[in-house]
Amino acid sequence: MILAVAGGKGGVGKTTLAYNVAAALGAVVVDADLGMADLPGGRGPDLHDVLAGRADPIETLRAGPVEVVPCGRTLAGARACDLTRLESAIGRLERERGTVVLDCPAGRRSDAGVPLAVADASVLVASPRAFALADAVRTRELARELDAGLVGCVVNRVVEEPPTETIADALGAPVAVVPADPRVGRSVEDESPVVDAAPDSDAAVAVRDVARRVPS
Amino acid sequence: MQIRGTAGMDLAWTVEQDGGVSLVRCRVHNDEAVPRRIRLDSRLDGPVLPPRRAGVPEAGWDAGGVVVRLGPGASRAVGFAVPAEPTEPPVEVGSVTSDRESVQGSDEGDPFSGARSETPVLDAVRTLGDHRPPRDAVATVGNRREDGEKGETERDDGAGVDPISDGEAGDGGVAPTVVDEWLDAVADRVDRAERLTGADLGTATEVVEEADGLDGVSDLRRRIETDAERLRAVSDRTAALAARAESTDVPIEALERLA
Repeated sequence: MILAVAGGKGGVGKTTLAYNVAAALGAVVVDADLGMADLPGGRGPDLHDVLAGRADPIETLRAGPVEVVPCGRTLAGARACDLTRLESAIGRLERERGTVVLDCPAGRRSDAGVPLAVADASVLVASPRAFALADAVRTRELARELDAGLVGCVVNRVVEEPPTETIADALGAPVAVVPADPRVGRSVEDESPVVDAAPDSDAAVAVRDVARRVPS
Repeated sequence: MQIRGTAGMDLAWTVEQDGGVSLVRCRVHNDEAVPRRIRLDSRLDGPVLPPRRAGVPEAGWDAGGVVVRLGPGASRAVGFAVPAEPTEPPVEVGSVTSDRESVQGSDEGDPFSGARSETPVLDAVRTLGDHRPPRDAVATVGNRREDGEKGETERDDGAGVDPISDGEAGDGGVAPTVVDEWLDAVADRVDRAERLTGADLGTATEVVEEADGLDGVSDLRRRIETDAERLRAVSDRTAALAARAESTDVPIEALERLA
């Protein structure tokens, strides 16, 4: 099972959600944001090396509460990436680890599209602002064209009760609401997924809710 | 333009030669009342260079030719290049099959739909914009744009700011930072390569481990080769520049008197 966490707009919390949903699924999370990596890095080979044909995807796995495939931080590395290698690399990880979560970049260029094309299903992340929703709708169209069935969407960092029904109507998928919670915000940096650190929090409930909808 | 008709189908072509490459243009027409899938094979002695988008060949192309799908009475023009001498005819029809199943629906307007892409990944790479950051944004030796502060490196007007020493004269004998960094990196690699040259098993294992395995070592070899070339080029240029610099004589006193 390959799940893409996408959202069109940057800064809505795709990485945080990808990391936490991966924790709930017991999955590997891959930092597929080639130009602006967010998940913790490391010293070893990373996704840039894999997409440049220099490393095997399995050697990039970085142990932790959630296994991470980090992405390089250099623009030169991003430039050298051949996106057509992504499918076989992620396929390899899926065969080894079962479930793979892809943290997708913002936008609608090929670096955002190819992970969706590789994925079996997708989750969209939006912030409660109207323009973030517009981006999420566009990304949903892209996911639909590329056959990454939408299993749900997440409205992230919610302070006031959002118009969940309107959002669900616009995106055509069930909506989970993740409240603004500092434990969620810190979870990636601290490598402490909210489903472990605060299993009873509303955020953890929402993350598990999304994870449950992912077909195994 | 030459035309050849085969079994309810017309194929016309032209070949041009340009710099050792033959450019083949052809037009194929389906005379039948049924949609057909037609394979065109190159007869030239070399690999077909197909049209590409974002570095990925268009759907339907391979190293030998292309498959096009034509509706009833429809025509299609295709072109490709082959690094070889032209031959006549440059293309031939490889196979023609009827393509009944994909005629309905939205495929109608898409002549390649019969050869629709092998994978959605290639489609995505082809149709969505290029993901790569522009070359100008990427740092290379001597062109460190990425850190922002060396933005003027590319200013090559000769009289402008020296990007490396920032216009300060008189730090003779000391290599500028960028050059230093580069030379240090080269020295590291040469060090490693020297340790591998005629090394015993123990040392070799150690170095291979340091270099992240055999791939790393083959990478090292490639880079060393490039390093050697660059060093040679730089040394030639610096020697020539040093000689020219030494033979100049800026007549500052004379100029001051004139001013």
